[in-house]
Amino acid sequence: MKNKERSEEELLKVEVAGIRMKNPLILASGVLGSYASSLNRISKNAGAVVSKSIGIDEIEGYKNPTIINYPHGIINAIGLSSPGAKRFYEELKRYKGDAPLIVSIVSTSPEGFAEVVKHFPIASAFELNLSCPHVKNFGLSLGSNPKVVREVVKSVKKVTKKPVFVKLSPNVEDIVTIGKSAERAGADGVVAINTLRGMAIDIYMRKPILSNISGGVSGEGIKPIALKCVWDLYEELNIPIIGAGGITTWKDVIEFLLAGASAVQIGSAFYYSHRYFYSIKESLIAYARWKDENLSEIIGKAHQ
Amino acid sequence: MFTLRVDKVIRHNERYSTIFFEKELKSFPGQFVMLNIFDLEEIPLSLSSPQSVTVKAVGETTRYLIKIKPGERVGIKGPIGNPFSPAKGKVLMIAGGIGVAPLAYLYDFLQKCRVKVKVLYAVRSSDDLVLKERFEKARMRIITEDGSEGEKGNIFDLVYSEDVEEYDKIYICGPEVVMRGIHSYFKELGILNKTEFSLDRYMKCGIGICGSCVIGNGMRVCVEGPVFRGDEIVW
Repeated sequence: MKNKERSEEELLKVEVAGIRMKNPLILASGVLGSYASSLNRISKNAGAVVSKSIGIDEIEGYKNPTIINYPHGIINAIGLSSPGAKRFYEELKRYKGDAPLIVSIVSTSPEGFAEVVKHFPIASAFELNLSCPHVKNFGLSLGSNPKVVREVVKSVKKVTKKPVFVKLSPNVEDIVTIGKSAERAGADGVVAINTLRGMAIDIYMRKPILSNISGGVSGEGIKPIALKCVWDLYEELNIPIIGAGGITTWKDVIEFLLAGASAVQIGSAFYYSHRYFYSIKESLIAYARWKDENLSEIIGKAHQ
Repeated sequence: MFTLRVDKVIRHNERYSTIFFEKELKSFPGQFVMLNIFDLEEIPLSLSSPQSVTVKAVGETTRYLIKIKPGERVGIKGPIGNPFSPAKGKVLMIAGGIGVAPLAYLYDFLQKCRVKVKVLYAVRSSDDLVLKERFEKARMRIITEDGSEGEKGNIFDLVYSEDVEEYDKIYICGPEVVMRGIHSYFKELGILNKTEFSLDRYMKCGIGICGSCVIGNGMRVCVEGPVFRGDEIVW
């Protein structure tokens, strides 16, 4: 088929674990995802949006400074601050966006994850945060152990028929082991990667800048690391992979698709503009037309 | 983030100080900084001039800040946000409490624009009138809730008794409840397009990614704000 005949819609659309998305661009968790108004606005040009991670109870989070930018990205230690499942459900009920809503879940136990999932019938899918690097007993504390990951996924799959994605951390011995464990337990996809542990020190004050001392590094600086994780996972896994980590330009998106990601998540790049999805989307259309290929056709192509 | 040395502190009274930094920040009126006191907290503060912030002690960090000594260093992220836009002709500034800080900076800036400024300045008590000398050539109406200086009453008494339609531009900064009230009054009058509100919301990152400060239409106070044209605001 000649490229002129393909519609923009056709060129960009992807499907991940049965979730149809108008383009492969997903808003990453923790960025602009605490309020329905914000998600509604971002959803206009997004393939899907992920809300801020939510647990069963309210979590206060750390004191400011919780987020700092450095020349190659962002370091954050928000501390999973959130209003608790009940109140957040009331907020998300006002989501009227143009893209599927994925709800990100945190908890300290397998049963806890399942409990939170039950609060969100409006979700199109769930993302299990097993990778937040800066809150004790949450996130990575569970996600670095393949057995615990399996328990969590099994527990959640028992209470929902919707797709369940596991967000993975690069701060583990072998990300592929964790990914496989999620796959075997029935996960419908993995998201790679969450932030990497890091910190910054002010040289005049001679003190760490973040109130929590360390946090998670995201943004451009971590892109090669994330890309390699996606590559490795694609070699071993059969379930879809959602790439995340430092994606900033449309070329980064293509790289991740070629490495094997079925879609990508973008977060830190919203530092530059809230119209990020719009501008990347336009560039992706141009690329797809030039190559005369739908984006869904290039997934994993760099492996051949 | 970088750090700046505190150069000078003007202690207005027990609850208020203006803190001058060692150098000017390239900024426009209405912009703010995320100011970090190490070991305490990072908070958003409007610039009251290119080189200063004016602070009211309300919490742990601000209580420390009003007593800060020259020579101490503070962390600065910024200047951040959308500033006020300039004006021509007749200008009205409506200040509620410490909301006067960015308007004082704006007043200095507008001196280049050949405008006629009138200021409505509302506070609880005469103690709170910390920056009134900054508006030296402007006509000013002061109102205090306890009647200790100027007229007695609240900010709405001033606004309702003013012929607001005769102004080319109206700038407002004050507590959110006050701004919501004024916003709905101006909406009724159909004049929101010539008004600019400087909003204040709970903030974490100050760089547009965390989403803590969004208003009803998803706009971020830290990046698209803090100054919004009246007709852009959905509370």
